Amino acid sequence: MKKVLLMLLAITSVGLLAACGGNSEEGFDATKSITVYTRDTSSGTRAGFMGGIGFDDAAENDNLLADGFVTSDNTGILTAMTTDEYGIGYISLASLNNTVKGLNFDGVEPTVQNVVNNTYGLKRPFNYVLRAPGDYDSPEAEAISNAFVAFLQTTDGADIIMDQGAVALESTDTWDDIKADYEICAEDNSGIVIRFGGSDSIQKIAEALSAAFSPKCGDFVAEHDHTGSSDGFKRTQGSEKDGDNAKHIGFASRPFKDSEAGVDGTQGQLAWDAIVAIVHLDNELDSVSAEDLKKIYSGEYATWEDLLSE
Amino acid sequence: MNTNTKRKKRVDQLVRGLFMAATLLSASFIIVIVIFIIIKGITPFITDNDGLGAVNIWKFITGTVWLKGTAFQSNLYGVGYIILNTLYVAFLALLLSLPIGVLTALFIAKIAPKKLAEFLRTIVELLASIPSIVYGLFGSGVILTFVYNLADLFGVQSKGGNSVLATVLVLALMTLPTITAVSEVAIRSVRKDIEEGSLALGATRTQTNFKVVLASAKSGIFAAAILGIGRSLGEATAVSLVAGNAQSGPNFGIFDITSTLTSTMLKGLKETTGIDYDIRFSVGIILMVVILLTNFILNAVKKRVGNVNVK
Repeated sequence: MKKVLLMLLAITSVGLLAACGGNSEEGFDATKSITVYTRDTSSGTRAGFMGGIGFDDAAENDNLLADGFVTSDNTGILTAMTTDEYGIGYISLASLNNTVKGLNFDGVEPTVQNVVNNTYGLKRPFNYVLRAPGDYDSPEAEAISNAFVAFLQTTDGADIIMDQGAVALESTDTWDDIKADYEICAEDNSGIVIRFGGSDSIQKIAEALSAAFSPKCGDFVAEHDHTGSSDGFKRTQGSEKDGDNAKHIGFASRPFKDSEAGVDGTQGQLAWDAIVAIVHLDNELDSVSAEDLKKIYSGEYATWEDLLSE
Repeated sequence: MNTNTKRKKRVDQLVRGLFMAATLLSASFIIVIVIFIIIKGITPFITDNDGLGAVNIWKFITGTVWLKGTAFQSNLYGVGYIILNTLYVAFLALLLSLPIGVLTALFIAKIAPKKLAEFLRTIVELLASIPSIVYGLFGSGVILTFVYNLADLFGVQSKGGNSVLATVLVLALMTLPTITAVSEVAIRSVRKDIEEGSLALGATRTQTNFKVVLASAKSGIFAAAILGIGRSLGEATAVSLVAGNAQSGPNFGIFDITSTLTSTMLKGLKETTGIDYDIRFSVGIILMVVILLTNFILNAVKKRVGNVNVK
């Protein structure tokens, strides 16, 4: 009895030691299966990623994904890729660091510069839309809305956008440089409500922006009610523009459709949401295409060999 | 009756009323919470969910896939496999933590020198007060890597360590201090005369500890196990960081990814709306039923096991 126990103890301790030691010296074995990591169906990053690789149907449908996929959050996927040599996942570009390998997308490196100069493809635009000029409940609301959009293009606005994990467009002016053009902001606007709506993926950024901008513009009251990209246009210039849910400023986390073309000068972009596919540092893969990623996430490529031998 | 006694009586009544009010308040909170969860939780089954149609209760309870079809456009939810997964990991965790916890408790209560026992008791209390998110971070930082390498050793390719085993290890770690603390109290409260009787009959210390002390304390140890199971079943944060949140199941392989009722509720909770949100309350009802049933059954078993019954 005692001998058996001792044997067991010896075996487990050897096993544990070996397990702690790891096996990184063996290198990358391409015959292993691909382990797919994803965000859950309510994630905006997932919608952006699946849209970017041409697999829109899978944005909110788990059944289309490869068998045995792991659902985790941004940080969970990032840390998993430091352990799992045979995993692949995606995170927002802002979270990328050197503990994992960010894959080139269609040959373009995932960097902020490449997003801003529009060469990196795995991204989606964050757009805004204003009401048509003159179609506001008050001239003050119109002036504040215009000032807000101007604020988006300043370096102050860009800092806030970057803080929230998105990539801001290039800007040179600070708010102090241009605030003289917006006289409304020198007045007391504490009685004026500006209503924001549209994409819920942009909600956090929009809230951070309005919270920062309100003190700079007469303490106007910001009301946020984000219900989805299609409501961005609908509730400012579309069918619901005069309804109970009408908004002053709407957002869409995708390009505006042809049916959503508004009055000239009322629509524009405030940021890019860039997503990057990541793998373990030991992985031999350096670059993927949208097609590759779609085949991985749909389960068509089961092992790394399938992908690397293409 | 003089005025003094009258006043005392009035104060008595006042205090009684105050206590009564406090009791009613706390009791009513529980009722409000339960009613709220039940109302929210049965919504998906009795309304047509904005045109999707009511969720079928039978399919919900026996389902082997969390959601068939596209989120927000489908009502085909299922938690059957998740119920099995939850019970499976909770009992595996108990299998690991109960022996270790009871032996630790025995050591602290009967064997260790007084100073060391004091010290160990403090450590166990400290461990019990660590919040679950810390266990979760430890799990995702250390246990996942450990399980990944361990699986590799056995020639199994695990999913980054996210697995039944990782979940069980985290839960065992979390329930260990509770089990140790409660069993220690049970072991210490075993009557001295039973123990001395055993020693006087010529039994050794070890024989006495295992055959008399533990046997006498088994009711208390069982209570510790029930508390441990309760904590395992209800743990959400730590589990969701290491389980992998399997979409379908049941998942019994120790290196397979899994999902529990709580991790399913938590997944995407902060970003979802409509039926996909309400259904999480339904999962909450299922969880409450599972915990109640488990406690009920274990308590029934505990009664049959009885208290002092030294063979």
